[in-house]
Amino acid sequence: MVAGKSLRILIADDQPLVRRAIRLLLESHAGWKVCGEAADGREAITKTKELKPDVVIMDLSMPSMNGLDATREIHSSCPQTQVLILTLYHFPELARTAQRAGAQGCVLKSDSNRYLILAVASLGISQPFFGA
Amino acid sequence: MNAVRILVADDHDLMRRGIKSLLQQHPGWEICGEAHTGREAVEKAEELRPDVVILDISMPDLNGVEAARRIRTSSPNTEVLIFSMHYSDQLIREILAAGVRGYVAKSDSDRDLVIAVETLANHKPFFTPRATEVILGSFDGKPPRAWMPESIHGRLTSREREVVQLLAEGKSSKDVASSLGISVKTVETHRANIMRKLQLHTVTDLVRYAVRNQIIEP
Repeated sequence: MVAGKSLRILIADDQPLVRRAIRLLLESHAGWKVCGEAADGREAITKTKELKPDVVIMDLSMPSMNGLDATREIHSSCPQTQVLILTLYHFPELARTAQRAGAQGCVLKSDSNRYLILAVASLGISQPFFGA
Repeated sequence: MNAVRILVADDHDLMRRGIKSLLQQHPGWEICGEAHTGREAVEKAEELRPDVVILDISMPDLNGVEAARRIRTSSPNTEVLIFSMHYSDQLIREILAAGVRGYVAKSDSDRDLVIAVETLANHKPFFTPRATEVILGSFDGKPPRAWMPESIHGRLTSREREVVQLLAEGKSSKDVASSLGISVKTVETHRANIMRKLQLHTVTDLVRYAVRNQIIEP
């Protein structure tokens, strides 16, 4: 685990309670701060451009604009920002799809207990994480 | 501040955590248990008798509507708050019929969930403005009979409703006949029809029905 490195993280998920849970998990890690939240793809893009987080945690299925489209846009306009896709459902080719959209990682929500912190730490040092 | 015991039933770990974290902040509120499936929700509700069950509608092993129905039937003092991914008027209709009095979507705010729990803990119904819109939206101007609370009650004639009240008040058929100015035979016919329509078998059932529907005071 990379201790001590401070990270600024943006959470993009349409469910406030899920955002709350992710925030709790992340902020239990020393030095990590949730700098903002977004409830849909469009907001994720706007806030990323404005806040310039180190990592964006991106839910796949959001209204208005989904996580993959938002990832593509962020990848092209803010290439220094790492995107971690967080999704409810596994589907074949999930990892490849996420990668092709420009994400550096992908974790299933059901695995978040085990993998979320690890994934974010990985992305924080620019190491991809496709553990799911 | 009143103590409220809450059972959280959702098969998604992150969601359960978020709910717990939110509700535990409220003084006096206690998460007395958790469930990951519909069946587990029913079992734990029976065992723990919580004040409110937050029930995710889409859990495996026993669908949410059926789980809600069983919980409301076995433990009428336990309120069920349905927690759903989407708004659906079909779903709302089904849960109302199952005895559920609370509905919140997962995309609604934290604040909505807190108010929902508060309201249900006081045994009052809670539907978000959006849910209310969905319900009203399916009316096309006039609520269909199936939406009326106690739709069975609505099927009684107005004379039958009068008879229900008098019988539930303890009057004999003879007294009812004389109160209403009809024959005893007519009263007996009304009584038989009432019992059949409401699927009741004894006078005690009738009284209980009348109290529940606020036809008479307990």
